[in-house]
Amino acid sequence: MPSPDPSHEDEAALIGRIQRGERELFYDLIRPYERRVFVIAFTILRNEADAEDAAQEAFLKALKHLAQFRSESRFSTWLIQVAINEARQRQRKNHPEIMQPIEDQENEDGTYTPRDFADWREIPSEALERKEIREKLIAAFGSLAQKYREIFVLRDVEHLSIEDAARVLGISAGAVKTRLLRARLMLRDLLSPGLEGISASHSQGPKGTRPWS
Amino acid sequence: MVIKCDAVLSKISDYLEDDLDPAVKRAMEGHLAQCRPCRAVLEGATNVVALYGDENMFSLPVGFHSRLRRRLADRVEGQRGSWRGWLVSVAATGALAALVLFTTVRDRFAPEPRTQMSQPARRLPERLVAVADGGKTFHVPGCPYMHGKYRMVTPEEAIREGYAPCNRCMSEALRTAGSVEPDFEGLEIASSATGAR
Repeated sequence: MPSPDPSHEDEAALIGRIQRGERELFYDLIRPYERRVFVIAFTILRNEADAEDAAQEAFLKALKHLAQFRSESRFSTWLIQVAINEARQRQRKNHPEIMQPIEDQENEDGTYTPRDFADWREIPSEALERKEIREKLIAAFGSLAQKYREIFVLRDVEHLSIEDAARVLGISAGAVKTRLLRARLMLRDLLSPGLEGISASHSQGPKGTRPWS
Repeated sequence: MVIKCDAVLSKISDYLEDDLDPAVKRAMEGHLAQCRPCRAVLEGATNVVALYGDENMFSLPVGFHSRLRRRLADRVEGQRGSWRGWLVSVAATGALAALVLFTTVRDRFAPEPRTQMSQPARRLPERLVAVADGGKTFHVPGCPYMHGKYRMVTPEEAIREGYAPCNRCMSEALRTAGSVEPDFEGLEIASSATGAR
């Protein structure tokens, strides 16, 4: 699990001091969120170099506009919003051909039929130490539509509440839940055959044995 | 309450969030106990959430933190109102004020030019020049325009005293300043150069 966020009070005090001129404290303020901002940018841009650049820019903008931050909201949520805006803006600039639909054209009534009902053999977390497993998981994640990647990362990777995720994305809590269900089930479908395929290139057991076994 | 596969699958996410009405949750668990395919989907979704939620799943690129610090440094450290920045500003302002004061004082106490042409030369010879007390220009020794009793001074001293460069000998000397030795041979410093015009 990621390290817990600083307390709201500590953070508010820190922000107050930065706003009053102790700008070097900004490093302390953002330190717990470096990974989070990078992951958010990576979720949208799907490229490590672009994501790092966008993350740096997001931090610069956060510093520049820190005076506009209102302490009644959480800094982490505000920062994520800044990061999402920066990454989306960069995505539009670099790939203007990718048009995000204004209206969600997909059926979001929550119905999603899994493709594979076979027994799921659990992938242990230790498998993440293997680079090829992590790359496979990231590739599966990257193949989801952006709206599913965004909500999945906010909720299941960054552990935002449903309400905060809805606020950050500007959608209803109901839409968050619907997209989250689809994202989780799609990933489940994507991972089963995908990871199964890895075993062929790694002689770690009988044919068909998953590499994390 | 009886619940079917479609309903169970549509609520799997809410089940993981523990966001279900207790009666629905009980019905769902009853269904899952009997339905292997739905249980497989639930277990898969559970594993997906656990895997991607692991902090080892997405890691920062190596060197991310130091590169970020460098990118932020100008904005964080360059604009802060620190005592060091304040001192630098004060020192710069003081130096500028001293320069203005020095220039003003120097100009105020400088002697009046002896002629309208008496402007500082842009390039001065590195050797001494000759000035006459009653004259208005300074010369390279041996200049035919010199007359009267003269003495040797540095070009800077001559200018400070209000002498202007001689149009004839100094124009030549200034063109070659620092590279040509003026003709000092046969110079009679204390002698009268009357008629040597």
